Amino acid sequence: MNKFDIQVRESKEHAIIETAGYLNDALGEKLSEKAQELIQNGYTLLVINLEQTTLINSIGISILIEIIEALDEREGTLNFCGLSATQERTFRMMAIAKYAGIFPDEESAIANL
Amino acid sequence: MKDPSKPLGDSLQTHKTQSTAEQTMERLIFSLSELEHLGQTLISGHSNFNHSSKTYLRITLGTLQIRRGAILRYHATGQNLDVVAATPDETFAPILVEPDELEALLKHPFIENTAPPESLKQFFARSTKLSETIDIRLWIPLKIQDEFLGMIGLGKFLARDTLEAWEMELLTTLAHQISIAIAYSQMVEGIQSEKFRLFMLAESAPQICQLLQPEAAAEQVVQQAVSLLDANAGALMLTDTAQQALEMHYAFPENLLENSTVQDTTNGNGLVISYGEDTPIPQEATSVKVLKSVVKEGIPGHCLPKFDTLFGGKNLMAVPIPGRDGDILGVLVVGDKEERGGRITSFTDEDEILLDSFAKQAGVAIENAQLHQEALEARQLQAEMEEARKIQVNLIPETLPDIPGYEVAGHYEPRGPVGGDYYDCIPLPTGHWGLAIADVSGKGMQAALLMATLRAGLISELSRAESVKEEALNQSSLYAEIATMAMILNSLLYASGTEEKYATFFYSHLNPETDILTTLNAGHNPPLLIRKDGTYKWLGEDVGGIPLGMFPNDMVSSIAEYEAEHVQLASGDVIVYYTDGVTETVNIEDDYYEEDRLVEASKACKDKHAEGIRKYLHNAVMEFQGEADQFDDLTLLILRKE
Repeated sequence: MNKFDIQVRESKEHAIIETAGYLNDALGEKLSEKAQELIQNGYTLLVINLEQTTLINSIGISILIEIIEALDEREGTLNFCGLSATQERTFRMMAIAKYAGIFPDEESAIANL
Repeated sequence: MKDPSKPLGDSLQTHKTQSTAEQTMERLIFSLSELEHLGQTLISGHSNFNHSSKTYLRITLGTLQIRRGAILRYHATGQNLDVVAATPDETFAPILVEPDELEALLKHPFIENTAPPESLKQFFARSTKLSETIDIRLWIPLKIQDEFLGMIGLGKFLARDTLEAWEMELLTTLAHQISIAIAYSQMVEGIQSEKFRLFMLAESAPQICQLLQPEAAAEQVVQQAVSLLDANAGALMLTDTAQQALEMHYAFPENLLENSTVQDTTNGNGLVISYGEDTPIPQEATSVKVLKSVVKEGIPGHCLPKFDTLFGGKNLMAVPIPGRDGDILGVLVVGDKEERGGRITSFTDEDEILLDSFAKQAGVAIENAQLHQEALEARQLQAEMEEARKIQVNLIPETLPDIPGYEVAGHYEPRGPVGGDYYDCIPLPTGHWGLAIADVSGKGMQAALLMATLRAGLISELSRAESVKEEALNQSSLYAEIATMAMILNSLLYASGTEEKYATFFYSHLNPETDILTTLNAGHNPPLLIRKDGTYKWLGEDVGGIPLGMFPNDMVSSIAEYEAEHVQLASGDVIVYYTDGVTETVNIEDDYYEEDRLVEASKACKDKHAEGIRKYLHNAVMEFQGEADQFDDLTLLILRKE
């Protein structure tokens, strides 16, 4: 996967969005677009894999919150995986962890959807 | 009560079949319930206005029975209005709002699109695409007190040309609710952003301070700063105080310098900016001036995109990175702060304070990493020194041989960093002896290896000379033989080192049968010959060649050829070979021991055995040294004719 890129893998029940690069407005908007598209298509179980995203700014965080809100409206579930220790602490501090699960890898994130 | 999520067509159907009073009553009830819905939306925790703006628009249009409309949100930093919700759902470019237009918008609660105030005609001209697409009839500025927050644009009213008074009042209430929602969203976004920044600031300090590799610390410092400031680029330039230059150490993204048009020198990372007083550059780029000013004045600096030639036209903010001692370690630069929607905005005073605080932490982290690196290098150097010391000690003979009719004693004492002192006493198959003393320049492993090379070359040459029947050699032949050996050793050392790596060398060929000592000096301290009667002579003082390995052989021939000479020894004669660690020993008053003191001490002990002379001279030097520190090895080799 190239830097500043997004990959989506869909299965019957859930979809996984994988990001790479700096999660700022540009990448965040792409991520939001993909997530909205999946939600519109009926997916309510999503995993966002941030393993290749080491850097996130406050706009990236607000976009993640929006995705959580959009999914919450559909009573869906969002789990994150591949977070660095700092990212995990940031997500907990920003209350993202209150509304979305955090798991070390895709396997456990999918298992807990 | 109607379900607000139902399409607008239902309301239209009701309009056709019910009386006006009933319709009005129903719409009022619907409006009240929608207002409640708005309130719930506001406090539900769905704080992001952009996300819920479509709901606000749908409720507004549904309540007022209007097909088309738009909600626009104002961004003060970009001075523009963004269409955040529109029916039909199309994408529109942001609309610029000039400061005087902003004042006019704040004055009017409603503005008819067909009859805008004079001061807003330009604004409406810029809004034509939106107006025409939506068919906007009425604009409602959104504000709280004097803060302009956005606008609602309403399209054609269904089955009527104007809104009734009670509808206008309802619209005012709806607009107020939406204004509150925007303000609330802004407040929450601000709190979230500040919370994120404060957390990142607190989190980044221990994180970057734990990084012990300077390269990793530089990378983290830049990336954390970029993230902290919502920037899109960043760079860390560190000062080289000796060169008075700022050197690029890390840039984000990696291709940041691709569009740089600054003409300057480069290092491995791409950019070096000299900031010395004597390097004025005519028509110097503003961005370069800003960085120079930051490092020289120690205060933050800014540069607008149109003046940035360093990073290809970015909006820059740079702060100094202070060190522990108050000196400036470097400059931390961030570029192109972004807003939601991707707009690039200016860095604020708060941003400057934040980056300045972060730079202080970065300074500690960078210094930590640098100190760690220096400690590692010192440890590696220490290990290398120990290895070099082992090599050197192994090259110096543990015991000296017995030479018939002579006494020999040697002393080697390391003092300070490993040097390259060497002495040896090598038996020749003819029964003659080769005595050598040398001092290799430099310290550490290189010096030890050069010394090992010299010793190996010397032994090899002396072995080769074994084939020569020394008895057959007359004195001039021996001179030539020794001079040739010196040239070969010179060539050997020159090939294995640089100009800075050379060795002073003194060689003596002793024939114990004739007591003739044939000597050659290659830039070494002349050994001292003390006669039994107390007279003395410096050996090789007048025919000394240059040190070995300093120049190639052809240059040696033209500068100062190696020449041998000889001296006849008699009973009681003493020769004191030494390295400059003896004569350059300093005392607490910074006086050198020097040759005169060596002569006096040698005279005083000349009647002792060689070992006694060695001890006496060593003690004399140590006594002179006292408490003073020494940085050069001390080597003595004593030869005494019984």
